[in-house]
Amino acid sequence: MTSLPARIRALPSWQVTLGVALLALGFLIAAQLRAEGPRVRYTTQERSPLVETALALTSDQDALKARILELNDEIASLQAEGAGSAQQVKSLNDALEAARVAAGLVALSGPGLVIQLTDASGPAPSAANASDYAVTGHDLRVVVEELWLAGAEAIAINGERITPTTAIVDIGGPILVNSAYLAPPFQVSAIGPTDLFDRLSASVGFADFLQARAETFGIGVSAAEPDSVTVPAYAGSVTLRYSKPVPSPSATPGVSP
Amino acid sequence: MNATRGRVAMTLVAVLLGFLVVLQIRNQDPGAQLSNASTEELTVIVANLSDRNDQLRTEVATLEREVSDLDAAKARGGSSLDELTRDLAKLRDWSGLDPVAGPGIQVTVAGAIDGDGVMALVNELRDAGAEALSADGIRLVAASVVAGPASGLSVEDHLLPSPFVLEAIGSSDTLTGALKRQGGIVAQLAVTYPEATITVTPVDRLLLAATGRDLQPAHGTPRL
Repeated sequence: MTSLPARIRALPSWQVTLGVALLALGFLIAAQLRAEGPRVRYTTQERSPLVETALALTSDQDALKARILELNDEIASLQAEGAGSAQQVKSLNDALEAARVAAGLVALSGPGLVIQLTDASGPAPSAANASDYAVTGHDLRVVVEELWLAGAEAIAINGERITPTTAIVDIGGPILVNSAYLAPPFQVSAIGPTDLFDRLSASVGFADFLQARAETFGIGVSAAEPDSVTVPAYAGSVTLRYSKPVPSPSATPGVSP
Repeated sequence: MNATRGRVAMTLVAVLLGFLVVLQIRNQDPGAQLSNASTEELTVIVANLSDRNDQLRTEVATLEREVSDLDAAKARGGSSLDELTRDLAKLRDWSGLDPVAGPGIQVTVAGAIDGDGVMALVNELRDAGAEALSADGIRLVAASVVAGPASGLSVEDHLLPSPFVLEAIGSSDTLTGALKRQGGIVAQLAVTYPEATITVTPVDRLLLAATGRDLQPAHGTPRL
């Protein structure tokens, strides 16, 4: 019997390369099969005009969001350079910068957690409760709420920042967060104290969630603690149509030219 | 000839590999997801996307106007203090740092309902376009969570009485319609929480307080 390394050395090099490539292929096929979980439950036909429309709208939306981020940057720099000497402008700009951060219009990085949620692998036992085996809007909402309660200070799902006006809505298929339809795997990124994971793990609500969804229905829940988590800026509307400011003695006084 | 055969085999494997990688990436893209949706779901998705894109377009127009105002002020050599003050007020109102007033609805929540049920209601109000929210006078910002069992609800370390009132600023017709439509959230909650009563009242003017939270990050650093 020759040892394994010796046998590998004896092979022509292309066979080794081919072997490695086939191994990678096998891995990818397995990943591919796993990815086709219970969510593939309708017969996939040719892309319908509705799918084409939805895809076109999604790419329109990406362009609009990119434009909003660009304009927000432009506004911030125009405001910063406007008549820079006056003390009043300087303090207004500092206040504006703080308000942008508070509103989630600025990306943040820092310590934190990334929780990944994936549909249960393998077909659902019956079509009747197939949706129990897929990640729902409610699942995402619970994870986000538990992260807030554990002390997170900024959260995004697949790049969509959670703001005071963010709703997480599902209609059975993809999940709507802000303006975007998101597909699994869902990555919930949260910035918070260094013990965020310990606090989350200690939560009864989170334990109940794991029990109800991961243990019972096989929803995949995993957590990673990278050195630094980035939560992107919110790219959406901050325009108020119905709300008016309330004049108060502490508000910034109006400035006359 | 061994080398040629090897090269052919490797090329084939590389092509297959590339194909599978692309397939794998596509699977994580909403496009692949959409192909699996039913016609009913797709209709809702298209309607929603087109509606949200309109909102984003309006926002782009607003921001473009703001840029040209700032440019004009700069060209005049004057200061843009008015623009800065207006922008500051808008951002502080939107994020919950300042009190705001406006029309909207009051949702009275009575009886046995837990934090998850109340957050379902809050989520629905946000989806229906609520611009500002409060629970028993406590302003709800992104991180505010109403939590606890039916007998001990709290938000931001404040115990909620029973009944308590949720307030939402926005179009009172749209908000009321979203909550009370057939099969809507009020109907769903009536099934899950039979002991709870949810009453919706339109109001001409609500006044919502500022949040007590510090919204400046203590752990994250802005990436400018």
